[in-house]
Amino acid sequence: MKGLSYKITGLLLIIFSLSYGLWTEVPELPIIEQSIRNLFYHVSMWFAMVAMMAASFGNAIGFLTSENMARDRRSISLAETGMFFSILGLLTGMLWAKFTWGAWWTNDPKLNGTAITMLIYLAYFVLRNSIDDPRKRARISGVYNIFAFVMMIVFIGILPRMTDSLHPGNGGNPGFNSYDLDNRLRLVFYPAVLGWILVGTWIAALRYRIRNLEE
Amino acid sequence: MKNTWVLVRRYFSQEVRNSNVLFSLGLYLVGVAYLIYLLNGGGVPADKTWNSLLWIVVFFGAIQLSARSFEYESNDYFYYYQTIAGPAATIIAKLLFNSAYIAVISGLTWGLFSLFFGNPVFNTLLFGLALLLGSVGCSVVLTLTSGVAQRTQGNATLSAILALPLLLPILQLTSVLNLQAIVGVPTGEALNLVASLAALDIGIGLLAYLLFPYLWQD
Repeated sequence: MKGLSYKITGLLLIIFSLSYGLWTEVPELPIIEQSIRNLFYHVSMWFAMVAMMAASFGNAIGFLTSENMARDRRSISLAETGMFFSILGLLTGMLWAKFTWGAWWTNDPKLNGTAITMLIYLAYFVLRNSIDDPRKRARISGVYNIFAFVMMIVFIGILPRMTDSLHPGNGGNPGFNSYDLDNRLRLVFYPAVLGWILVGTWIAALRYRIRNLEE
Repeated sequence: MKNTWVLVRRYFSQEVRNSNVLFSLGLYLVGVAYLIYLLNGGGVPADKTWNSLLWIVVFFGAIQLSARSFEYESNDYFYYYQTIAGPAATIIAKLLFNSAYIAVISGLTWGLFSLFFGNPVFNTLLFGLALLLGSVGCSVVLTLTSGVAQRTQGNATLSAILALPLLLPILQLTSVLNLQAIVGVPTGEALNLVASLAALDIGIGLLAYLLFPYLWQD
C-alpha cells in the first residue's frame, strides 16, 4: 500500500482526537460551556475543507500551465473531498448552533460564507457536467475553479472580519483568542486538523485513482 | 490598447444598431419597477427593502445583458475575432463595455425607483459611487462567466448559475455601502468600505484578465 505511513498517522490522529476530545478537561467559558468540544469536531472540518480546496486550486493552476490531464483529475477529486468536509462542517456547526444559539441557522457572516462556498462549488460541479470534451472541460473548469477559490477566500476570510458576528472569535465573543491560550485544547485541536487533512488526502487519492481507471 | 478602443466602439455601435434589444431591456426595467409598484399597492417600501429590490432588478438586467455578451463571438466568428484581436484586448474591451452598460442600467433603475417610490438616499455621491463600484464588480463576474458559458456551446442559463454565487459577496458589500448612503453616513467615514470594494473590483478584474486567455482558445 502506497503512502502507508501518512494514512496510518492520519487515522491514529483522528482516533486520538475523537476519543480524547471527549474526556479532556476544557476551560469553563460562559454560554459555550461543554460545547467548546465542538472545536475538535467542527472547526477541524473547515481547516480540512480549506486545505482540500486550496490543493484543488493549486492543481487547477497546474493544469492551466502544463496541460497535464492528471492535474485536472486531481483538482476535481480534491474539490469533491473538500465538498464532503464542508457538508460535515455545516452539519456539526448546525447541531452546535441549535444548542448554543437556539436556532439551526442564523443570519451570520460565517454561516453565509459557508452557504456561498457550497453554492460556488456546486456550480463548479454543474459546469463540469455540462462539458463533454475532457480537455476543454479541464481548461474551462480550471478557470472557474481559480476564480471561485479567490472569491471564496474573500468571502470566508475577509468579509466576516469586517462585520460583527455571533460566532465564537468575533465581536467580543469568547473564541479563538481564549482557546489559543489553552494548551489542553491545542493538544487535541492540532492533531485533529492534521489527521483530517491526511485522511482527506487519502480520500482524494482514492477518488483520483478511480478516475484514472475510468479513463 | 488601440485594438481595445476599436472593439469598445464596435460593441457600442452593435448595441445601438440592435435597437430592439435596447428597447426590450428598457421595457424590462420599466415593467419590473412598475410591477413592484403595483404589488406593493403604491406604497413606499422601507429603506432596506428599497435597496434589495433595486439590486434584484439591476441583477436580472445585468444577467440579460451578459447572456448575449459573447453572442457575436460564436462559431466561425470566434476564430475571426481570435485572429484580429487577442484575448487581452477582447477582455478589456468587454469589461469596459459591460461595466459602463451595467452602470447605466443601475442608474436608470435608481431613477425609476425614485419616480415610483421616492428617493430615500441622503448621501447621493456615496450612493452613486456604490452603484458604480457594484456595477464594475458585477460586470467582471458576469463577463467571465458568460465567457465560460459561451465556451460550453451556448448554454444561456449556465452563465446565471455560475455567476450567482460569485456575485453574492460583491452585492453584499455593495449593499452595505448603499444602506450607509441611504441613512446619510458622510462620504469620508465610508472611505474604508469604498476602498475595500474598489480593491475587490480591481483584484477580480485582474484575475479575469489573467484567466481569460485560457478560455479564449480552442
